Amino acid sequence: MNMLLYLDPGIGAMIAQAAIAAFAGFVLFYKLIISKIKGWLGITNKSDDSNFDDMYKDQDLKNK
Amino acid sequence: MLRHPASYRDPSGFIYQDNGEYFRQINPSYFKEYHAIKNSNVYDQLWKKNWLIYHEEISVTSDKITLKPTQLNFLTYPYEWSFTAYKHAAQLTLRMQMFLLEKGFSLKDASAFNITFNNGKAVFIDTLSIEKYRDKEPWKGLKQFNEHFFAPLLLAQQHGSYYLKTLQHRINGFPLDEAAKLLSWKTKLSPTIYSHIYYLGKQKNDSIGEVSTSIPSKGLDKVSQIKMLKTLEMYISKMSLKENTEWSAYYKQTNYIDQAFTYKKDLIKNWNSTLNTKKIIDLGGNNGTFSKIVLPDANQVIVSDIDQSAIDDCYISNIKNKETQIIPMVTDLMQPAASIGFNNEERDSFVSRVQSFSPDLSMALALIHHLTLSGNVPFEMSASFFKSLSTYLIIEFPDRQDSWVQFILKSKRDAIELFDDYNLTNFENSYKKHYSIIKKEVIKGSHRTLYLMKRNER
Repeated sequence: MNMLLYLDPGIGAMIAQAAIAAFAGFVLFYKLIISKIKGWLGITNKSDDSNFDDMYKDQDLKNK
Repeated sequence: MLRHPASYRDPSGFIYQDNGEYFRQINPSYFKEYHAIKNSNVYDQLWKKNWLIYHEEISVTSDKITLKPTQLNFLTYPYEWSFTAYKHAAQLTLRMQMFLLEKGFSLKDASAFNITFNNGKAVFIDTLSIEKYRDKEPWKGLKQFNEHFFAPLLLAQQHGSYYLKTLQHRINGFPLDEAAKLLSWKTKLSPTIYSHIYYLGKQKNDSIGEVSTSIPSKGLDKVSQIKMLKTLEMYISKMSLKENTEWSAYYKQTNYIDQAFTYKKDLIKNWNSTLNTKKIIDLGGNNGTFSKIVLPDANQVIVSDIDQSAIDDCYISNIKNKETQIIPMVTDLMQPAASIGFNNEERDSFVSRVQSFSPDLSMALALIHHLTLSGNVPFEMSASFFKSLSTYLIIEFPDRQDSWVQFILKSKRDAIELFDDYNLTNFENSYKKHYSIIKKEVIKGSHRTLYLMKRNER
């Protein structure tokens, strides 16, 4: 296998990712349920005014 | 040809300098990856999003491919970013990884040094960090991501912004097991923190001598990896740092009246417009209020300040106002970023980066009393420091009647007589050894004097 590993990712850490990802699956599912319930109840989260999506959506500036 | 001293970890290629310009050489071992990425239009799409630094392909031969990236005037390092900037850099890394996975690629590392700021926003600069995604392979960069981004952000949030400077003394990031010890027990209740800090921190590599190259598990499918990254990104996006510092409200409770403030602004604007400055550094520039005044007459202004929340404010307002030519950075002038890494050459010190940026003008407004009285820096030494940076200097001197000076002097208690030298005459005499005073004006309605000085060239 021609894998140039110049960074040691930690084999343990790599295996652990399966568990972390499984956990994350639950978290996402739970968040979805909560936001659905909030939606029914008409509760909206006020979003932070410096969030990534608002601040980095600009595509008119080319980084040339 | 001069290989950049920080560009040695990845055998795929390296950055070098030629005639003052930076180029990137790609070695044959990376040719296949490079062509795959290029042919699938991934570079183009990342450029369109402004996520990756732009490059031009200069030459292609059988033994090397040469790229010329957009040349950046000034690099800030992670330990100079404010909280929101740091957070956005983390989010950009995760977004990149999620985007790449969808296209069949992956990041091979997640170093915070892969990111810098250009045109006010975070941009990924390590073009060769992209590789082909191998089916079921977990993300190699995850542990590093948590060490470079997640742990410092969490620690900063809990224990103060000083943890954002982690990479200055730990170039490889904050060890996760150590971070776990510093975080409050309540954080264990968060599934995201528990899994990325506590659980991952416990995973050790195989014992020495038994290194295996294959991953002894069924691996991780792409969908699950994306879910994992999404959860992590969602957590980070909600993080915030609320620090109340004496500076964040500085302009709301200044010790001088509005009229004096306007007068000071006008003076600075007028003086600067006569100098034909292109590049400026505003030392102790708070949230960039005065940088914005001189910017229309210049091309680029660096705002450095010790106060994280003032710089954070500057970073956010720059993006909101589409102000692209101000570079905010957190710097304590009493201990500016040192040069670090192998042979002390990987990351340049603050002073040497500013010197190669070569500003035409340095501004030191409401700074000298902090350097002299709080920092005990003699006038002689601060003068030669400013002199090493630029030809011109606009400096403000608050005299002993100024309320801030009074406050600092009183806090010296018994040692107050040690600072008897702090007065206008001594200041001028010391600075005249290095500078010629071109203009001098008392700011009406305040106890402050503003100077425009030009360095004496030998």
